Amino acid sequence: MGSDGELADAGGQRLIDAYRMQMLRKAALLIACIAGIVLVVGLLSVHSYSSISLRESYEVIWNHIAGNEYPRRSDMWWADTYIWNRAMPHALAAIAAGAGLACCGSLMQSLMGNPLADPYSTGISSGAALGAIAAIVMGVSVTTLAGGGTVVNAFLGAMVPAIIIIAISERISMTPATLILIGTALSMFFGSLIAIIMVSTNPESLQEAYLWQVGNMNNIDDFGWDCIPVMLGVTAAGSVVAMLLAGKLNVMSLGDKSAQSLGIDVKRFRTLALTLMALMTAAIVAFVGILGFVGLVCPHIVRLLTGSDNKFVIPISMAVGAFILLITDYVSVVVGSLPIGVVISCIGAPIFFLLIVFSRNSGKGALY
Amino acid sequence: MKRLDTPPDAPGAVAFDIRTAYARERNRNVLFMLAMVAVSVVMFLVTLGIGTYHISVSDAIWVFFDHLLGREVDPEDDYYVWGEKIGRVPRALGAVVAGVGLAVGGVIMQNILRNPLAEPYTMGISSGAMFGATLSIGLGISLVPFVNGSYATIANAFILSLVPLTIILLISFFKRVTPTMMILTGIAIMYLFGAITQIVMVTSSSETMQNIYSWEIGSLVRFNWERLPAVTAIVVVLSILLYLCASRLDVMYAGERAAQSLGLKVNVFRLSVLVLTSFLTAAIVCVVGAIGFIGLVAPHIARIFVGSSNRYLMPAAAAFGVAFLLTADTVAKIFTLPVGVFSSLLGGPLFMYILISQRKRAWM
Repeated sequence: MGSDGELADAGGQRLIDAYRMQMLRKAALLIACIAGIVLVVGLLSVHSYSSISLRESYEVIWNHIAGNEYPRRSDMWWADTYIWNRAMPHALAAIAAGAGLACCGSLMQSLMGNPLADPYSTGISSGAALGAIAAIVMGVSVTTLAGGGTVVNAFLGAMVPAIIIIAISERISMTPATLILIGTALSMFFGSLIAIIMVSTNPESLQEAYLWQVGNMNNIDDFGWDCIPVMLGVTAAGSVVAMLLAGKLNVMSLGDKSAQSLGIDVKRFRTLALTLMALMTAAIVAFVGILGFVGLVCPHIVRLLTGSDNKFVIPISMAVGAFILLITDYVSVVVGSLPIGVVISCIGAPIFFLLIVFSRNSGKGALY
Repeated sequence: MKRLDTPPDAPGAVAFDIRTAYARERNRNVLFMLAMVAVSVVMFLVTLGIGTYHISVSDAIWVFFDHLLGREVDPEDDYYVWGEKIGRVPRALGAVVAGVGLAVGGVIMQNILRNPLAEPYTMGISSGAMFGATLSIGLGISLVPFVNGSYATIANAFILSLVPLTIILLISFFKRVTPTMMILTGIAIMYLFGAITQIVMVTSSSETMQNIYSWEIGSLVRFNWERLPAVTAIVVVLSILLYLCASRLDVMYAGERAAQSLGLKVNVFRLSVLVLTSFLTAAIVCVVGAIGFIGLVAPHIARIFVGSSNRYLMPAAAAFGVAFLLTADTVAKIFTLPVGVFSSLLGGPLFMYILISQRKRAWM
């Protein structure tokens, strides 16, 4: 005890306070996102059946979950039908896609140690696009499920570059930067195949192919609840696995050599993480096309506000991603003529720009 | 000095090894350049014979030389090979010019941004050009008054592709601009332009979309005798200017502090080089569209053979760029597809192979 002890106590108390502030910030961000999600779900519901109010729409949803039924053909019954068959699949798809892409984005950025990495850095997007475009333009598809051909094609197409990269990284040890370069090369290659198809086809098919690529909710509009189990299931399972990997991911961000000396099998970990990300991203992209920005920008926003500990960054960026994509879907539905991919570009590009502007002075390492 | 020529005393032996090693490396550089130039010449002559008009390669070569030497030429042959406006010769020359410009631009970008993924389009130039083309083709808007049609597209593309550069220059008046910041700003602007372009493309008719898309892919067919001189002049002048900076670029690559302590005004130098490179790239892209791969990969491939010293790297990358683009264009003509398709098709796997087999030596 004595003066030393008192000083130590004061310092210790400051540390505890600072720590509590940090945790509060994280909790606040998470709660804000969840609140926002709930709000936008309500807004979507109101939009799909405009003669009910916001509060009533929550009532409808709650009643449906609770299993209560409305008298048939009543006003509320129609609201229930519209909301559950139109708005809810949209909402759930947006939540699943946003959460999944953001989770993969934060995984990728930590794994590759590159702030510009996103789920598509391994060339998955062009593989998926090639599969989808083959189905749309040439009618070539693996299954004959009506309309499902594009989805399955896109999924399989996405796995091709993923398998190539995973096989390469398994056999040959290489730095993350080289892996991304290989992903870029694969993107280029598949992109050229896509270009060959797109320039040789008629304008209508070209337009359809482009709209698929940009990212849209047409599958959700057409098929409703059929899409949701896969998207939600894969996202949920994938995020659980990601959370389990979060601790090791923190260690990986120290660099390959440090991680190895701390006991992580870098190669195997990377293979596992890449496989996980490939499956999650492919499952999402197969249904909604190539939605950009969510995977790139959400982890940065979260890191800017709450630091880089992956145990928090992964779940919170999932919440942020779900929220942002939900807003995007709402805007897209209200405006009507813009697919969700275009809206997310219009939202994401300025956000990215602002991130660069704001992160320059702070040392919190948002972007660099 | 006699000592250097006699093998092993202790100090003499070291000098002897260095000398042969240096000679070997210099020979390798020269060989690579010669090989690339040889391939370029061969492909240039071959491409004269490929196209929709039927003429054999050897006949086309004769026509080429006869015209050059002022001798009698069959007018129809001459029309297709040398061209009144469009022809194979201006297209091939365009390939040479574009190959040089894009490759040199790539070397410079990777140097000043110190990033192996950098390429001439990293600063958002291609997205600006694409946006300009979309404005012109999709909405009929031309930024330069009294110009329309394909000239409007070119003018729009040129002007808008320089917007990212302008923004970076503006920022540099307020604060120091690091390479990372340049890359990030370029990417941010690329995303912004991309978003607006997407809106226009999504809301336009399918024919318009097809036109815009074909413009973007990149095709050398747009090189004709009218456009060739201006682009050639810009590319030649700027490439020479940039080559004169070669040794200073090497110094900068050593790191900013080292460069500054060696007397180089790093920030001014970096920005001025960026300006030159942006004009160089913009001049090519506004006519041709965004031909991928060359700017990114030519420097890497050349670096594997000739090392990182810019005095050799720039010409070597340029030579490779020309050889590659001529080959890709010939293949493109055979399949009547735009060259941008083939530069990525051939380039992607080639790049991957190089990355995998050379990973320890190429960049880091």
